[in-house]
Amino acid sequence: MMNLKEMFQLSDRGASDLKKGIFACTLTNLSLMLSVVVTVQIFLEILKPLTDEEVSWNKMWMLFGAGVIAVVLHFFCCKNDYRKTYVSCYTAAEDSRIRIAEMVRKFPMSVFNDKDLTELTTNMMGDCASIEHSLSHIVPPLMANAISCTLICICVMVFDWRMGLSIFCTLPLSFLIIFGSRKIQERGSRKHTEAKLKASEEEQEYLDGIRIIKSCHLDGEKFSQLNDALKDLKKQSIHMELGTSVLISAAQFVLQAGIGITVFVGVHLLTGGSITILPLLLSLVIVCRMYGPILTILTLLPMLFHTLVSTRRMRELAGIPIMEGRTDVPFPDYTITFDHVDFAYNKEPVLKDVNAVIPEGRITALVGPSGSGKSTMSRLIARFWDVERGTVAIGGVDVKTLDTEYLMGMMSFVFQDVTLFGDTVWNNIKIGNPDATDEQVLAAAEAACCDEFVKRLPDGYQTLLGENGSTLSGGERQRISIARALLKDAPVILLDEATASLDPENEVLIQSAISHLIQGKTVLVIAHRLRTIADADQILVLDNGEIIETGTHEQLMAQDGLYHRLYQIQAKSLEWAV
Amino acid sequence: MEKIESQGIKPKKGLPRLMELAMTQKAPMVGGMILSALATIASFLPYLAIYFIIQEIVGAYPDFDALDIPKVLGFGGLALGGVLLNVLLYTASVALSHIAAYGTLYQCKINYVSHITKLPLGYHLKMGSGRLRKIMDDNIESLEGFIAHDLPNMISAFVAPVVMLVFAVDWRFGLAAFVGIIFSFLIYGVTSGGDKTKKLMEDYQTSLEDMSNASVEYIRGIAVVKAFRQTTFSFKRLYDSIKNYTKTVIPYSLSQELMTAALSAALNGIYLFLIPVGIWIGSSTNDYPAFAASFIFYLIFVPVIASVLMKMIYASVNAMQVGNAVERFDQILAEPEIPEKNTFPKPSVYDVVYDHVTFSYAEDCTTAKPQTESFQSQQEKVNVAAALQSVSFTAPQGKLTAIVGPSGGGKSTIASLLPRFYDVEQGAIRIGGTDIRNMSTGDLMDTVSFVFQDNFLFKQSILENIRMGRPGATKEEVVAAAKAARCHEFITKLPQGYQTVFGKNGVKLSGGQIQRIAIARAIVKNAPVLVLDEATSFSDPENEHFIQQALSELVKGKTVIMIAHRLSTVRNADQILVVDHGKIVQSGDHDELVSKEGRYQDLWSNYTKALTWKFSAGKEA
Repeated sequence: MMNLKEMFQLSDRGASDLKKGIFACTLTNLSLMLSVVVTVQIFLEILKPLTDEEVSWNKMWMLFGAGVIAVVLHFFCCKNDYRKTYVSCYTAAEDSRIRIAEMVRKFPMSVFNDKDLTELTTNMMGDCASIEHSLSHIVPPLMANAISCTLICICVMVFDWRMGLSIFCTLPLSFLIIFGSRKIQERGSRKHTEAKLKASEEEQEYLDGIRIIKSCHLDGEKFSQLNDALKDLKKQSIHMELGTSVLISAAQFVLQAGIGITVFVGVHLLTGGSITILPLLLSLVIVCRMYGPILTILTLLPMLFHTLVSTRRMRELAGIPIMEGRTDVPFPDYTITFDHVDFAYNKEPVLKDVNAVIPEGRITALVGPSGSGKSTMSRLIARFWDVERGTVAIGGVDVKTLDTEYLMGMMSFVFQDVTLFGDTVWNNIKIGNPDATDEQVLAAAEAACCDEFVKRLPDGYQTLLGENGSTLSGGERQRISIARALLKDAPVILLDEATASLDPENEVLIQSAISHLIQGKTVLVIAHRLRTIADADQILVLDNGEIIETGTHEQLMAQDGLYHRLYQIQAKSLEWAV
Repeated sequence: MEKIESQGIKPKKGLPRLMELAMTQKAPMVGGMILSALATIASFLPYLAIYFIIQEIVGAYPDFDALDIPKVLGFGGLALGGVLLNVLLYTASVALSHIAAYGTLYQCKINYVSHITKLPLGYHLKMGSGRLRKIMDDNIESLEGFIAHDLPNMISAFVAPVVMLVFAVDWRFGLAAFVGIIFSFLIYGVTSGGDKTKKLMEDYQTSLEDMSNASVEYIRGIAVVKAFRQTTFSFKRLYDSIKNYTKTVIPYSLSQELMTAALSAALNGIYLFLIPVGIWIGSSTNDYPAFAASFIFYLIFVPVIASVLMKMIYASVNAMQVGNAVERFDQILAEPEIPEKNTFPKPSVYDVVYDHVTFSYAEDCTTAKPQTESFQSQQEKVNVAAALQSVSFTAPQGKLTAIVGPSGGGKSTIASLLPRFYDVEQGAIRIGGTDIRNMSTGDLMDTVSFVFQDNFLFKQSILENIRMGRPGATKEEVVAAAKAARCHEFITKLPQGYQTVFGKNGVKLSGGQIQRIAIARAIVKNAPVLVLDEATSFSDPENEHFIQQALSELVKGKTVIMIAHRLSTVRNADQILVVDHGKIVQSGDHDELVSKEGRYQDLWSNYTKALTWKFSAGKEA
């Protein structure tokens, strides 16, 4: 048997709780068998007159009393197993949720760029929920049923092997049907999954494109596409369901045919004088009661297999390599160097033999068409990924050797997409430096021009922002992120100039905030508006992952290269009017 | 095709509503339920056969030579036949109920999609495609288990006790077992907790939702918190929500502990009701063998009933959960569709007049009746967007009207009312004198084109994506439009040119390219009125330049209402409206406005200031 702990990604406590739960469930099952014992004793009593003995009605009352006690006992067993399985499965699920959250925290930054975030969250929460369900509703009853069925099987065999054999002889065949047909079932479910995916895609496309669909009268055409996909899903669902239900029914029938066999064998043995009436009646009672739990096993098993997919995914998540590094290396200075850096993303080369020096305390701008590798370059500094060849170093220290959080402590990011938390404005700014005094937070907010809009909010700095700060405009969000960076006061600033259109007032305020932020810092800015970097100390022009031009604005303008051309086009665009 | 009554006289809830939905597939559903009842009856046959066998054996006991062997084996055959019949009937019933279930799902989805297609586009913007799809994938899907499994199980759970009473081998034992069943249900009723459990369940669901929100926020924010070395900050929130979930889920599930244990004990103890009756009958019977046989039969048979009844309890718990899921789906079906009037012909002149237009999002939201946490945050977002108060202006035919102003001032709201994303509350919008609410959606859409910032391409060929603008357009027209929109060049460089399927085989386009295709689509459509979000971005100088050229082609000769972000682009506009706080605060052409003290002058001076700003260390801009 596979290790339960491994199988469900449990902690030590979780595994031992699970074992206790299974034991409690088994007790419950066995407590039910007490009723069978009482029943059989009643049979014995009832049959007495037929052999000219006297029925003892007093004994019958005693048996009744025993039955009541058995039921009460069963009640307590049930209570016990309910508590054991449920309470422990929820604590186990809590453990795994927290463990995953801890794990996620240590993932390299690339994971959050790479994997679809929603996928990560659904996996994380969905898998925990499915394991939770499995630990409470599937594993304990499954194991307990298996254990108690085996025990009973052994007892019956010992009692009378022929009757035992006739009760259980159909069991292997019915299991064979279920397991033998797994391939067929899998094929059905694969087709079904495909149809489901297709329908989902069509739904999403229809909903995403609804504006175009309405404005271009595509309701008919697109609707019928969606209709086809949904119809196919219906068809595949029915096929799959029929396929599996026929198989399961067949297995059920085979299993329950044991009733007939038991009657057959029993009657023959009885008339042949090999057994008395008691074993026959006992077998009949057992044959009527045994198949329920066995059928439960049959239906729970596929569910268990399904859960194992979740645990496998969790193991995969656990297998993502964590970037490790030192946290005790001092930086002599903050000059950033790229030395013959090659980097590929999904086998596609993004940076090719990049050499650059981003000097301390100066402004360096990155320029180039979209997809030329600008963002990658700035992210490599923060060790989102490790480079393939060459080195990225800060103050001569290879970033590969550094712990990522330690490394990021040296830098601030100001990117376009600002993440805010469902917390107060104050706390959203204070993330920049939790040790900051109230005065420092206020000063940063003021320098980042947040003061102006925060005052208009109902509770000022204590205003709660909605989920991801959805109540603020793009410009306001940016200013909060700049305030954070100001508070952090890191020596290196990585900036991505906003490309989205902002209204002029916001724009002016953000510019002023940035001017505050970058004073005296080592700055690397990904520039989109070339005019803004005319005073930069150095401009690196990237094209197709290569640095093709380097120099100041004046030097590059004199060179008649890509920079010159981009600058000209943009100047023309700025003059454009409808 | 049967249509599910969505806006009936009295909306049903809970189980009646679920039955109503299931009954949209009447034939298979009723068939499935009948077969399920028959299967239950057939499942009793083996026990009946066992009864006959016991009767025979007890009759002959202890002299087995008197036993009629062929008869006994015949009963063995009956038992086997009963099993077979039960399995066949049950399989058929499950098959039919699944056909009904998937039929219902399909029908619900189709009704849902047709309904939301007719909702105002603003509703889609507000809800987001993800959430609307989730209703289809999760809420509607949850019906499957209920219709396919729970309904048939409920039927058999009802049938079983009745059959037991009616076809009683001995009515006295039957009655005793029946009393036991009633007793079990009483136990269930007493221990199920009622309102207290309901409250716990609500707490549980809230904490579940909290936990899922916290984990979304945690993962979304992780890059930020890592950058600030603050992973403990957001981790703590998630951690608390996980702890809190455990804290609510355990009492909730423990509230079921007593019920579960008591019910199991009661159901498994039903046979005890038989014993006193057995003693009573046994001590006074004349036909002892018959009594013994029927007593034994009931002792074997009654425990089987218990497991059937257990299913009914599960089914009713499920019904409650599925009922909740369907309620959310019904809420959306209850959203009013955009009223369609088809009374006026298409206009032939294209002056656009906003006549004292008043509009607010809040009112629209109350009709949406947001109930969950996430609905609410969406509502907040909408509430902050400015409402319009008595906005009046005329956009003359063939002229360019620009709307400028701070973000959140109401620019986009003005633009989105023209294609009827929302309907005005007071006042009217007219095109060529016709109120747009009196035009059919088709006519309105033929008259008005819109190009906004968030563009969308279908997973079809580029050719088809452009042709969508006007389905009759020839390939030449499409290519001409593509050339005008400056996308011809990059399209021909794609692996299959115009036949390249967007999104397939890794064919990706940049935002600027997608925008140009959207403009080409609008050029093909050639509607006389155009609503435009200037929507040029600084991302890539070349793209920007091409988009501008494409826009210049698109606006030729049209009545244009354009949201402008960069003031210089609209300095030649025939009319500029300055919008702030939901009102038009100034209007005129650029020269007029810039020379007057006021909002526009401020905007313009900020704009020119922003243009000259530079990154520089050490000195203030």
